[in-house]
Amino acid sequence: MAQSISWVRLAVAVRGRSSLGFNYSIYHGGGGGGGGDVVKCCCCWSSSSERRDDKQYLKLEEEVLMDQCEMSTFKSSGPGGQHRNKRESAVRLKHLPTGIIAQAVEDRSQHKNRASALARLRTLLALKVRNEIHDLDNYTPPPELLLILPLKSTIRGSDVGPQIGPNNPKFALGMQALLDLIFALNASVGDAANYLGLSTGALSRLILSDHSLRMAVNELRASKGMKPLK
Amino acid sequence: MMRNCFSSSIRQTLYPSTSLFKYLQKPHPAKSFPISSSSSCSFPTTTPLFLRPPIHSASFPELKKWQDWAKHLALSVGPKFLESDNGPDADLLCRELKWLLEDVVVDDENATASAASGVVKLRAGLEELYALWRQRIEERRPFQYLVGCEHWRDLVLCVREGVLIPRPETEQIVDLVEEVICEDGGMREGLWVDLGTGSGALSVAIGRLLLDAGRVIATDLSPIAASVAAFNVRRYGLQDKVDVRLGSWFEPLQDVNEKPVGLVSNPPYIPGDHIFGLQAEVARHEPRIALDGGKNGMDALLHICEGAATLLKPGGFFALETNGEKQSEFLVDFMTGKMKGRFRDVRVVSDFAGVHRFVSGFCC
Repeated sequence: MAQSISWVRLAVAVRGRSSLGFNYSIYHGGGGGGGGDVVKCCCCWSSSSERRDDKQYLKLEEEVLMDQCEMSTFKSSGPGGQHRNKRESAVRLKHLPTGIIAQAVEDRSQHKNRASALARLRTLLALKVRNEIHDLDNYTPPPELLLILPLKSTIRGSDVGPQIGPNNPKFALGMQALLDLIFALNASVGDAANYLGLSTGALSRLILSDHSLRMAVNELRASKGMKPLK
Repeated sequence: MMRNCFSSSIRQTLYPSTSLFKYLQKPHPAKSFPISSSSSCSFPTTTPLFLRPPIHSASFPELKKWQDWAKHLALSVGPKFLESDNGPDADLLCRELKWLLEDVVVDDENATASAASGVVKLRAGLEELYALWRQRIEERRPFQYLVGCEHWRDLVLCVREGVLIPRPETEQIVDLVEEVICEDGGMREGLWVDLGTGSGALSVAIGRLLLDAGRVIATDLSPIAASVAAFNVRRYGLQDKVDVRLGSWFEPLQDVNEKPVGLVSNPPYIPGDHIFGLQAEVARHEPRIALDGGKNGMDALLHICEGAATLLKPGGFFALETNGEKQSEFLVDFMTGKMKGRFRDVRVVSDFAGVHRFVSGFCC
């Protein structure tokens, strides 16, 4: 009775104003023989996502971002439902415009796994999608970047509020803006520190404080033949 | 059965639930909805682990020793359960062990302070933890009964023996309801019914979607289920919105005929002769009354279809969970054939695993 386990792709089609934007429907297609269902994906693009070509995915509302994803769930063959007491509630999201995949398995409900996968997707988008900075001479850091800077930054006004860390959901936005700047400055942390009113050491410490941020910066530096931050 | 009664009476002696309830019920972490902080309605028999006061403690090495022992026991299972009756494998058991620790170990500032001195605050004593994990592996007692709760959608629902553990598939019924409510705001202020509510999962989730005027009536034949459902309803502060009534299907609803705007149900749908082949967690421990749908599993579903046609207000919505492909097809045929003219827009909706799990539609 061993089970074959596979991923089932679900099309995501968000309708109305669902609180978490997780309504979905499945379209069966083709095959039909054997145990594994063939599920054909049909993706619905909302008009608001079509208009965005500036790759500002992180600024999208949850529902709109989900709209751009193909969702798969971990499936074991068998009847499920009342038959089973097993939490195989893994969820995998594939962000179609970028191909980035995020998944979550460790939460105790299907619903939470979806929320975790989406949060993880936001982090991955921040790390992997670069937005160009067109005019470096007149660059002013966006407010979401100011929020993650240490208080001693000289460009950080007192009205910005306390510094937020990686556990804050807004951290991803700030991290993305920081990576955009470092990318535009050819991976120079010293130059970026100048723009942000920080010493090179202080900005390095910020980068090193988050594992994924550090990895992203070092990957960028490696591609320019520079030494990694340690 | 005897053994269950016996052990729960011992647990009750150890943890007299009534007096405990004065301390407990701190909202579960990461919960935005206000949860009742005082409750006159106590949980029948054993208090769920996560709601108990942290009156126990253990040293780090002691707790680590238990964890290593429990992990070893879990790993020794290997694929044995999976191969014999499609039960949990070692990976899943290890994940459950992690969740058990989440519920037992106190994790707050005070705990951090006492942890510095090498002591961990616990919501259950080590001796009980050894006994619980032994029950999990040796008796195949479901994890959710061990800890007394199940995480379902964004809720933490208390459960115990005698009540069906809510399944992840059923979470989707709430999405279907939410979809309908979004399209027709009036539904948000109407009366909903949840037949065979069990732990009250659907009623609590739907109650939270409704506006002030919206109401839910939850029915269940089992007094244990009704009291657990009432407990969960109170814990989420919904006692003015969700009314739990004891009785079979439509019997407790005679005063609301043609009033409900919506009906949901996850009734027993497993064909009777399949029950013994189910994984041990389900077959040996969950209430048969919540699983066994009669000869072909359709007894309750057909009864509910017939009753829904007279109970619901014209235009009222229904969503039912079924055993999958055949039952869903049969129900659709029944509702559009034999009961022609009573329902419209009857459709089959698949669950997250692609199984044709739900039948939904509207009353004419």
